[in-house]
Amino acid sequence: MAESPIAQRWFGRFWFIVLACGLIFLQLLPLQTVPQNWAPPDMLLAVAMAWVARRPDLVPIVSIAVVFFLADLLLHRPPALMALIIMGAVEFLRARSESIRSGSFGFEWITVALAIVAVTLANRAILALTASPQAPLSLSMIQMMMTILAYPLAVMVSYLVFGIRRPALGEVDAFGRPV
Amino acid sequence: MARDRQTDEDYVGPIRRLLVGVLLLVLAGTFVVWRIDSPRIERFRAAVIDKVVPNMDWALAPVTGIINLVADFQSYQGLAQQNADLRRELQQMKAWKEAALQLEQENAKLRDLNNVRLDPQLTYVTGVVLTDSGSPFRQSVLLNIGARDGIIDGWPVMDGIGLVGRIAGVGQETARVILLTDTSSRVPILVQPSGQHAILAGDNSLDPTIDFLEDPDLVRPGDRVVSVSDGGVFPADLLVGQVVLGADRRLRVRLAADYERLEFLRVLRNQPRETIQDQGGLLTPFSAPAESDGVAEGGNG
Repeated sequence: MAESPIAQRWFGRFWFIVLACGLIFLQLLPLQTVPQNWAPPDMLLAVAMAWVARRPDLVPIVSIAVVFFLADLLLHRPPALMALIIMGAVEFLRARSESIRSGSFGFEWITVALAIVAVTLANRAILALTASPQAPLSLSMIQMMMTILAYPLAVMVSYLVFGIRRPALGEVDAFGRPV
Repeated sequence: MARDRQTDEDYVGPIRRLLVGVLLLVLAGTFVVWRIDSPRIERFRAAVIDKVVPNMDWALAPVTGIINLVADFQSYQGLAQQNADLRRELQQMKAWKEAALQLEQENAKLRDLNNVRLDPQLTYVTGVVLTDSGSPFRQSVLLNIGARDGIIDGWPVMDGIGLVGRIAGVGQETARVILLTDTSSRVPILVQPSGQHAILAGDNSLDPTIDFLEDPDLVRPGDRVVSVSDGGVFPADLLVGQVVLGADRRLRVRLAADYERLEFLRVLRNQPRETIQDQGGLLTPFSAPAESDGVAEGGNG
């Protein structure tokens, strides 16, 4: 609390980028060169959604766009498509962050789950429309479910390690603005 | 104070909306350009990977090593049993090695008698695997050698034993290998005793399927599968694996390469072959003198 509020906010933004780069790095480790018939959760997406739902001021839209565009390039996905869709989903959550904050965790989870489902379906729909090569449907569905199930984990890690919690109703930041 | 904040919001709102709009447009544009002119964006992707991944090199190897160490430690109990098994297996292998050496000598003698010329141009560059594809949907690895080392798109990649995949995407210091198990991998193959040509099609499972087989009745599980030079994609006679019958009753190939441990990979320098273009002139006893010059010289030499 000793730091100035502006510095705090920029630290938060900086930590988001660091966390995202760390997650991409973990995904890139050459541990799994044998094809699997299940898919691990997309932790990057879950963490981004957790931060946006809880502290939208720490996740400016530019960092979302940059992080996910970089992930698209490094993870060999169609470039810019996931970044585009996730930007849309993040804006959807940002617009609802106020009502998410006043609801229970169950409500927050359901809202985020809807956003994750929408991201997966939109991704598949656009790839199908542009006749691009696609991953097997079962793998995408498994990854979608795993990401939804992993959301509480992402929330917990964000809270325990980075102190990202839901601001209480009526809580104001150091500028006197409602958070 | 409240008034100030209000005006502040009034300025920030439209600027933010403009920013979001511009970002959306740029990203959508990138995707559309990728769909229309994929090679350009893929070159950009290769350049970005080339800049980013070698920076992580110092951390990649130790972290991977530690995680593997932990995984290996968990299986420590089975190690004594495994050791005994391996000793037994080694005993059998020694007998086979003797047989192989004798066969190799015999083979060399026969080749010598036949005056066979093996392809002298098949040399290789060895690279270390930096990263995997990072997603369960794509099967590829990134090597730490690239255009700097003379790597060219399309060259075949092997581990010590069998074919692993093909170079697809070359940066200055890195190159991506599409594994045979990737859904977009298609490689011409030859099933050996029956000599049938087919296509090995990856489907994101460990054993890729055999497609376009002319007569499946002639192929049995256990047949050897090697690459062919159809279409000039690969050099011929690289070991790919063995035919197996999958659980779905489709013919698949159990790959000879050890996909569990892809650490060091060989990229074969695949020089373009000389191709024979003309059909061959008709050799006639009486040809007009004006056009027969070349033919006559060739004949004399």
